[in-house]
Amino acid sequence: MMTTTNKTQVHNASFRDPSGFLFERDGVLYRQVNQVYAEEYTRLMDSGLYARLVKVGLLVAHTESDPSTGSGQAIESADKNLAFRVLYPERVPFISYPYEWSFGQLKDAALATLSIQKRALKLGMSLKDASAYNIQYQKGKPTLIDTLSFESYKEGEPWVAYRQFCQHFLAPLALMAYRDVRLSQLLRVYIDGIPLDLASALLPARTRWNLGLVTHIHLHASAQKRYADVTVSEARGKRKMSKEALLALIESLRVTVRKLEWKPAGTEWADYYTANNYTDAAFEHKKVLVGDWLSRIEAKTVWDLGANTGLFGRVAAETGANVISSDIDPAAVEVNYRLVKEKKEENLLPLVLDLTNPSPAIGWNNSERDSFLQRGPADATLALALVHHLAISNNVPLVRVAEFFAACGEWLIVEFVPKSDAQVKKLFRSRLDIFSEYTQAGFEKAFGERYTMVESSAVRDSERWLYLMRRK
Amino acid sequence: MILLYLDPGSGSFLIQLLIAAIAGLSIAFGANWSKLKRRFGKKKKTETDDDDDDEQDPGT
Repeated sequence: MMTTTNKTQVHNASFRDPSGFLFERDGVLYRQVNQVYAEEYTRLMDSGLYARLVKVGLLVAHTESDPSTGSGQAIESADKNLAFRVLYPERVPFISYPYEWSFGQLKDAALATLSIQKRALKLGMSLKDASAYNIQYQKGKPTLIDTLSFESYKEGEPWVAYRQFCQHFLAPLALMAYRDVRLSQLLRVYIDGIPLDLASALLPARTRWNLGLVTHIHLHASAQKRYADVTVSEARGKRKMSKEALLALIESLRVTVRKLEWKPAGTEWADYYTANNYTDAAFEHKKVLVGDWLSRIEAKTVWDLGANTGLFGRVAAETGANVISSDIDPAAVEVNYRLVKEKKEENLLPLVLDLTNPSPAIGWNNSERDSFLQRGPADATLALALVHHLAISNNVPLVRVAEFFAACGEWLIVEFVPKSDAQVKKLFRSRLDIFSEYTQAGFEKAFGERYTMVESSAVRDSERWLYLMRRK
Repeated sequence: MILLYLDPGSGSFLIQLLIAAIAGLSIAFGANWSKLKRRFGKKKKTETDDDDDDEQDPGT
């Protein structure tokens, strides 16, 4: 979300750091570097740090010349009184948030942050913030998008962003690994990361035997409480931290993060593809239909909702589209992310998303972090084997299911699974069938209010139907 | 004193000094341990990026 002033829109999450800000002009994203940050920016570029980080994909690339003229001309600033330079950064296709990441995604984002800090220290700079929101998935890998996160390293100084790193990364990862993977959702409540006293209280006692966790979380939380009313300079006195000590701290964090593990197992979908109603023929037929239809409508962005481990999203990715592959189950998303890493896939982003309560807009003025729908629309939405879950498990009337999909984007590929299907029968095992409209005719009528049916096909060897629809 | 736009937190500043001292010791021990292991034939994975010694790129 952006705030409009004349033609220039300043990004609503870009106000804390006086070094500069993000803005949009004519649909193009720019980053203004302010005068106060001139020296640090110059050092980032001249020290070789920028080039090294971009080379290994840890920092987003940018140019200083205007993309609209293409002649190397400097970009017009958004606030002339403050401006030093204006950057034109490479745009990340989809902004995602840490509460939408699986364990592995948050862990890799944490390790990326530490790797950046280590490389920065080698070249005389240091990260002045360690916000998880500064990391975005670009081409399948965690990348720092805030070019203004660096400052000159001053010998003797501790790491300013240490607390933020612990709150944004270490605390949620430890809670996910040691208590419950669903605790990542605390990040949705605490926008500046999980308070360490809360993390300390929620972690099991055995984490006090883990050297990394007892220090970085438990003792850290106690120290915060003890020195709550003391200023930083009073607390530290004349104490200094050598560069070796600082590097040891970063290494300790890295080892602690690295040792945290969570394995996807035993959740509801983990073994879905092996224990369902499908025959191979039905499955293959569905893949062919989805691939054909997506190519035909030339979708550039696809949201695969209720994607499980991302099989059909991969069909979409093969057509060249940028794909969001979301599921409510953190285990399925973890499996999906591991596949992305294993196959080095660049245009499929797995996300944890509960469609019955998708990510809201949060933060200052409810506009720092966008809601899921605000980050759309997608060219096409895939809703395969999904409607029965929303309509029956969550009691959403079919017209409202259609309404939600219509808000996601113009095109929809949707599957209708009848009541006679084993998966739907399962949903009725413990409850009354109050869904008289849940028939193929009722489905077509409800979706017909929002969509034009472009194509439909029975799925071979099954009772299921697949539809290609276009929003009215 | 440098001016900061984030509050680093007094407790967070102090605990770093303590941890760095402990971590310094354990890393020194860890480094010797891996040297010892290498000497006895256990090879570590080689790093592709010449800039970085012991760490793999995250996300790969």
